[in-house]
Amino acid sequence: MQTRPAVAAPRAEAADPVTREIINGKLLAIVDEMAIVLARASMSPVVYEVLDFACGICDGRGDLIAQTNGITIFTGTFSRQVHFIIERFGADMHPGDTFLTNDPFEGGTHACDFAIIRPIFAGGRLIAYAIAVAHLLDVGGAVAGSIPPDATSVFQEGLRLSGIRLTRDDKPIEDIVHIILENVRLPRLTMGDINAELAAVRIAERRIHETVTKYGFEALDETFRLLLAASEARARAVIAGLPDGEYAADDIVDGDGQSDDPIPVRVVVRIKGAEIEADFTGCSPARNAPINCSRGALTSAVKTVMKALVAPQEPSNDGWFRPLTVTAPPGTIFTAEKPSPTGWYYEGAAQASELVWKALAPLAPQRFTAGTYVSLCATYISGSGNDGLFVHIEPQNGGWGATEDRDGASGMIAITDGDTYNYSIELLEAKFPLLIRRYDYNIKGGAGAGRHRGGFGLIREYEVECDDAVLYGSFGHTQTQPWGVDGGEAGSTNGIEVVRGGSSTRLTRTPHFPLRRGDLVRIITGGGGGWGRASDRAPEDVARDVRDGLIDSEAARKAYGVAVDAAGRIDGAATARLRGEMR
Amino acid sequence: MIRIATDAGGTFTDLVAFSEETGAVFVGKALTTPRDPSVGVLDTIRQAAETGLDPTDASFFVHGGTTVINAITERKGVKAALVTTRGFRDVLAIGRGNRPDLYNLHSLPSEPFVPRSLRLEVTERIDARGDVRTPLVMDDVDAVVETLAEEGVAAVAVVFLHAYANPEHEAAVAARLRERLPGVAVTASHEISRNWREYERSNTAVLSAYVQPIMAGYLANLDRALTAEGLPGQRYCMQSNGGLAKFAAAEAGPLALVESGPAGGVAGAVRIGQALGESDILYLDVGGTTAKCSLIRDGQPVLKSEYKLEWTRLLPGYPVQVPVVDIVEIGAGGGSIAHVGPAGELRVGPESAGADPGPACYGRGGTRPTVTDAKLLTGAIDPDRFAGGRVRLDRRLAAKAFEPVAQHLGTSVVGAAEAAIRLAEANMINALKLVTIQRGHDPRDLTMVVSGGGGPMHAATLGRELGVRRTVIPRHVGLFSAWGMLTARPRFDLRQTSFSTLGPDTPETARAMFRRLEDEAAAYFDAGPGAGLVFDRLIEMRYVGQEHAVATPFDPDAGLDALREAFHARHEQTYTFRLPDTEVELVTYHLGAELDTPRVDLPVIEAVGTVEAALIGDLEVYFGESGGEGRANVYDRERLPPGAVLDGPVLIEEATATTMVLPGQRASVDRFGLIAIEEVR
Repeated sequence: MQTRPAVAAPRAEAADPVTREIINGKLLAIVDEMAIVLARASMSPVVYEVLDFACGICDGRGDLIAQTNGITIFTGTFSRQVHFIIERFGADMHPGDTFLTNDPFEGGTHACDFAIIRPIFAGGRLIAYAIAVAHLLDVGGAVAGSIPPDATSVFQEGLRLSGIRLTRDDKPIEDIVHIILENVRLPRLTMGDINAELAAVRIAERRIHETVTKYGFEALDETFRLLLAASEARARAVIAGLPDGEYAADDIVDGDGQSDDPIPVRVVVRIKGAEIEADFTGCSPARNAPINCSRGALTSAVKTVMKALVAPQEPSNDGWFRPLTVTAPPGTIFTAEKPSPTGWYYEGAAQASELVWKALAPLAPQRFTAGTYVSLCATYISGSGNDGLFVHIEPQNGGWGATEDRDGASGMIAITDGDTYNYSIELLEAKFPLLIRRYDYNIKGGAGAGRHRGGFGLIREYEVECDDAVLYGSFGHTQTQPWGVDGGEAGSTNGIEVVRGGSSTRLTRTPHFPLRRGDLVRIITGGGGGWGRASDRAPEDVARDVRDGLIDSEAARKAYGVAVDAAGRIDGAATARLRGEMR
Repeated sequence: MIRIATDAGGTFTDLVAFSEETGAVFVGKALTTPRDPSVGVLDTIRQAAETGLDPTDASFFVHGGTTVINAITERKGVKAALVTTRGFRDVLAIGRGNRPDLYNLHSLPSEPFVPRSLRLEVTERIDARGDVRTPLVMDDVDAVVETLAEEGVAAVAVVFLHAYANPEHEAAVAARLRERLPGVAVTASHEISRNWREYERSNTAVLSAYVQPIMAGYLANLDRALTAEGLPGQRYCMQSNGGLAKFAAAEAGPLALVESGPAGGVAGAVRIGQALGESDILYLDVGGTTAKCSLIRDGQPVLKSEYKLEWTRLLPGYPVQVPVVDIVEIGAGGGSIAHVGPAGELRVGPESAGADPGPACYGRGGTRPTVTDAKLLTGAIDPDRFAGGRVRLDRRLAAKAFEPVAQHLGTSVVGAAEAAIRLAEANMINALKLVTIQRGHDPRDLTMVVSGGGGPMHAATLGRELGVRRTVIPRHVGLFSAWGMLTARPRFDLRQTSFSTLGPDTPETARAMFRRLEDEAAAYFDAGPGAGLVFDRLIEMRYVGQEHAVATPFDPDAGLDALREAFHARHEQTYTFRLPDTEVELVTYHLGAELDTPRVDLPVIEAVGTVEAALIGDLEVYFGESGGEGRANVYDRERLPPGAVLDGPVLIEEATATTMVLPGQRASVDRFGLIAIEEVR
């Protein structure tokens, strides 16, 4: 019985196309397995509930080959971090080594995100890197949780380990472990999560070895190369299909926590042939507040939008990003440098994503929406309940912009997150001394009118049922409304109101607001922008919104020029007259 | 006494019947008749009657099908409304707010099954302890009644916050609606789910209401048709939990039937495991469009407490709180289409040629290359004996369909066909690894049971690559779900969320809770307290601060320390670590109650004669990467005697499938006719 290759290989290839496709499938299975191992072994809810982690494989040059991701913000951080490690350790890498970095200024995000990197060797040759990153609950610094909302320097944001060796011969280096244990508030939990990340990169190493044994080093290496090339070619084809030119977008960051002053930011997106550049020249200098992001997070934020443009549903790798250049002078709000704080980097990064999105939306309406609520509106309520100290941490969902062919999505999580869930009311009330009074659409704030209207934001009201509690959070887009497209109206803004007795206080990026029993915390997220002119909206759609209680007859008349009664019955003649007057 | 099972699938309705006296097995297969599915069911009964089945002797009839899932996916349920706590009408629409399709900025949440204008609010509030914080305002309910009457809804779901802890408000409103709106189907959430999580429970109640009138009509119609045909005896539906429910119970809680067909297959695999004396089974079914795999541990299917309708990697879907056997499904089956992807790579599936037009070689107008075409081209299927010779396959059509793929790859059509098989099998391997290795189970400890028309063709290759102990091909592989339904027992699962911290009172509290649930189960089965019932008791527990809980077995005779240790051990098995100093919480109690009826026997095969007499020919076959190419003998499975041993490479043909045995493997046939494939060492 002789064997023969399944497909005759006509060229001198290390692997035939089908074998490469099978290897590609295995690579995706490997990163999936890494994520399962990490989530299973992790001890902190931030990792296994909120999915604030990612796993990936980079090739021997450090370029990303495959990744699993519950949230988008780690889209572009891996290869930068691996490149930093290669630069630092070069030839001094050996089987059994593992490296650690959490430095925002070396490709990372904020100090809480610990990246673990393992070079993988086969037959004495380097074939790949496995990398895992996870948000650790505490890494020391000024406050528990390590992201003080009023930080003025990165040194308040915890222990920073800028690319160090963590294991040698697969054994942790005791001195390093000691440094970590002595500098964090929850040493057992922290080491538990680091061990979970080590388990993830080890399983990747084992699976890569199995793949090399079965198909050979050259086959794997060639698969990496051709995978990147194929993604790059597809990305270039998409970019080449867009008209050459410069596309600018401006936006405002509403306050940094120190003040509510508007902070101008801008981008110019240049498309030339099959290349695309995002140029952030002209943005505000870095702030003395933690909403800055570093270059690593900026690159990641832009890559997220690039991925949305060229291939939203394909597996991620660095090939997709090869036609992209990110230009930005150092020391801005998006390229903060040591010692600027970056604890709430996802606020800055979200606005960077949004700028590129805004510049590209008119060009690629099949991929982008009008403006959304954008900010994660992260809310912290902590205090003492019957069972001692409690901390409730919650990102908020909000309204998304309309698209060219339908209304916007209501109550969906912002771009920086992803497959992450809101908190069940019944679970939350069983756990914390909080009673939720309301969780529904933000009808009062509304959404941007248009041929297609924006999606609705949400209102979530917490009644405080304990004697002392504290609220803090960082809400963006509290004054600047999400933008409309093609004549569509702007959406509505985010914010917090605390109602005590008869009076109410409005908050935005608040470092510390004391709460009392009976206080009502009203969390408000904005509605998205509209797409197209409101007077072009189908009267039946306006009538349906009236029947659904999303707008009233008055708004139907004023914003849309549709005469409709409360039951949703349209007066055709009156509508024609109203719309005639609007034009 | 005859047991009859019918499984009404998307294309075909299958029947398997078994005479307990004679051991005779009857089978039937007819086209499913979507307009009135009872027609297809009766067709199969009449077909089987021609081979000697006497339907008037039926003591037991079980039915599985896709009516519930089709009504939901095709949006063919009734006009339904939702009545909920004031301030929370949009919970059903907001869902969990997640974006699994994370780079697609055009992604959307799942559209709710009740529009906002029919999501009505009532003033009332109960808290997490079950205490009434705001009394129910009955005037609000009367206003709701008027709206529902005006709108002409056919069904209404009632869902209040924390109804799992205290159902009194829901019960009062449901009673008022039933009284004032006769003819409208009313579903209160606590009647079908007493689990917490308001969005998931709302979806459960709403979807149940949405399909309830449809299912009631369906079962009444089937019942009439069976009675007219002269079938006596008890009638059951196959439930997604791997057990049976009487027609009346299925009508009250139709969502329990959502994965009826696949659950039948899992029940069958459990029974095969018992016959082999194996308690840990990896089960794989390869159909025309998908492959499904599932793990059986300790002789029990693994149940998930939540099921997501229309969920994919890219869609959030609709989570519902019904116990469903844990199945991983991928788009790789006999009809899966091989095509060239956007980067020039070869892909197989998830698009399928289905049964109509079917693979190109069927000659029914299909022009795209499928896995079945590939198997024909590589010699593993004999074109003249396919489906017992009823369908003649055309090799030229298969070759023509593969021509563009072959050109793209720069190879022959046979080379392209081999490539398609390798890819389809690589996809199946990844799914099988997901339910085993990635969940901490070593395939070397498992026996793999493979069913479905396409399964036996791939079984040997998959078994070798996974390294399972052995691979078993049961009889009636093409009708295996229906056969599995014959073996299932009546089962009822009760789940109750009730929050407490583990402490000295826990064993007594838990015993009291389970006694209450056992009484409810006894009432459900119309049995005396505990009489003839087998109970499976689990408590979902977690460390304080966690959200996800771990199902821990509860032994009513054991004490606190044993329960605590059982939890730590389960947690360590699932999450790799334990936290001995952290407080432990109890979240949900789960009682599985099964009626202790005798298990159906596996009939002993009667084939007499020699192995040589079963030889029907030989074929030139490509056996894949590890098997190479060569000439293989072909045997007729029906004529293989018990004790037959065949060394690979061989093919074993039966009416609905072909089993491939690779070089280096040995197949043996036992007295039940099961084929076991093992590596020769």
